[in-house]
Amino acid sequence: MKKPASLILTALLISSCATQHATPAPEGQSAAATDALDDYEGAAEVSDPIEPLNRATFAFNDKLYSWVFTPISKTYTTVLPSPFRQGIDNVYENVKFPVRFVNSGLQGNFKRAGQELQKFGVNTFAGFGGLIKQSDRIPSLKDVPLEDSGQTLATWGMGHGPYIVLPILGPCTARETLGLVGDYALNPVNWTFALGDHADKWAWIPSTGNTVRSLPDQLSKYNDSKANAIDPYTAVKSTYIQNRNNAAKE
Amino acid sequence: MKRRSFLPIFLTFPAAGFCASSTSAAEARLRTAIGEVLAVADRVTSRSALATTARSILQRHVSFETMTRRAVGVGWRQFNAAQQKRATELFTTLVIRTYSDKFTPGEHPVINYKNAVAPAAGRVDVPTTLVYKGSNYAVTYRMEEIGGWKIADVIIEGVSLVANYRTQLDSTFKQGGAAAVIRSLEQSVARPS
Repeated sequence: MKKPASLILTALLISSCATQHATPAPEGQSAAATDALDDYEGAAEVSDPIEPLNRATFAFNDKLYSWVFTPISKTYTTVLPSPFRQGIDNVYENVKFPVRFVNSGLQGNFKRAGQELQKFGVNTFAGFGGLIKQSDRIPSLKDVPLEDSGQTLATWGMGHGPYIVLPILGPCTARETLGLVGDYALNPVNWTFALGDHADKWAWIPSTGNTVRSLPDQLSKYNDSKANAIDPYTAVKSTYIQNRNNAAKE
Repeated sequence: MKRRSFLPIFLTFPAAGFCASSTSAAEARLRTAIGEVLAVADRVTSRSALATTARSILQRHVSFETMTRRAVGVGWRQFNAAQQKRATELFTTLVIRTYSDKFTPGEHPVINYKNAVAPAAGRVDVPTTLVYKGSNYAVTYRMEEIGGWKIADVIIEGVSLVANYRTQLDSTFKQGGAAAVIRSLEQSVARPS
């Protein structure tokens, strides 16, 4: 049984911590591990060859989020009560169905694609066009993992590539940037703007509305990931990479 | 399609009894810890009061020493005893503050426990879903046997608290050693959240 061995290793490590001298890692344990159960080394690893530029863009985005996006978000949450905002979120997420449906299929997960189709049908017809998320009342449809193009590329074996902080959009990698293009193309919210006549004065409304309604959640996640950080840039990068790796595994 | 073999099931059968008892013991400890913290959260009216009151409870149920050691990484071996103690104190404050900052007085989370798994001897992962202020979160508690079952990490939406600080503190150590790690922790604790 491994348990006594791991306890002995742990005990040895704890006692060795009392010394000031560097101690070699025990046999069979990674040199970067602090004890037998330490599997954190490389958990959020990504290459960052343009770190100085990324840090500059991060600083720019941080000010943009504080000075421009946060006031817009606060105005939105002040003007619209929570149930209305929830309804708007539900509609936009329901319309985004092709992103999840197509990517579930592209990943060969046809059961999940079927569940997405059912969710869309239930929410559109029984939920007043998606305003009420009726699918949450059906156990088999409640916790369907959300698929996107970045996850599809990961499933196909594509690595992250270099880490990139995009102006305005924030943390990303080469793979996820490609994924964003796919998601943009598959999201009907953008179709009026991308395919329609740009002179059409209404074409910008769906996509702009989508940006504004998602601001409170996006800013909350961003602020959470840099709160109490030692180095906010590294904290946000680590949070992003771990989150995307986890999404790709689901 | 995955090939299924009965051999692993047969080989692991004798261990199944041990795994079931360890997962249930770890989950029971987690439920106790969460119950105690929520009881405090129901009584207090501010985030700072929660951070202060819940500290002693959390210190019983969370292995902050393990968390700090792993957050620092391999450089921990070069900390002397006093530096380890100081780093653990500061990291404890930072972690408690991180979670108490998310607390809103009057809001009560709903927690659903899923099936716990034991990925290694002495370790049990307890996945949960947490519904708080209308939002759903996938939260996994990593429990480890450290003089009894204790929380060794919290993973929210796939983001590990320990891994997140590891990326930050490991590079800080490489740049300036133990003193730099303690200085950066002191600065973070001193900074208003």
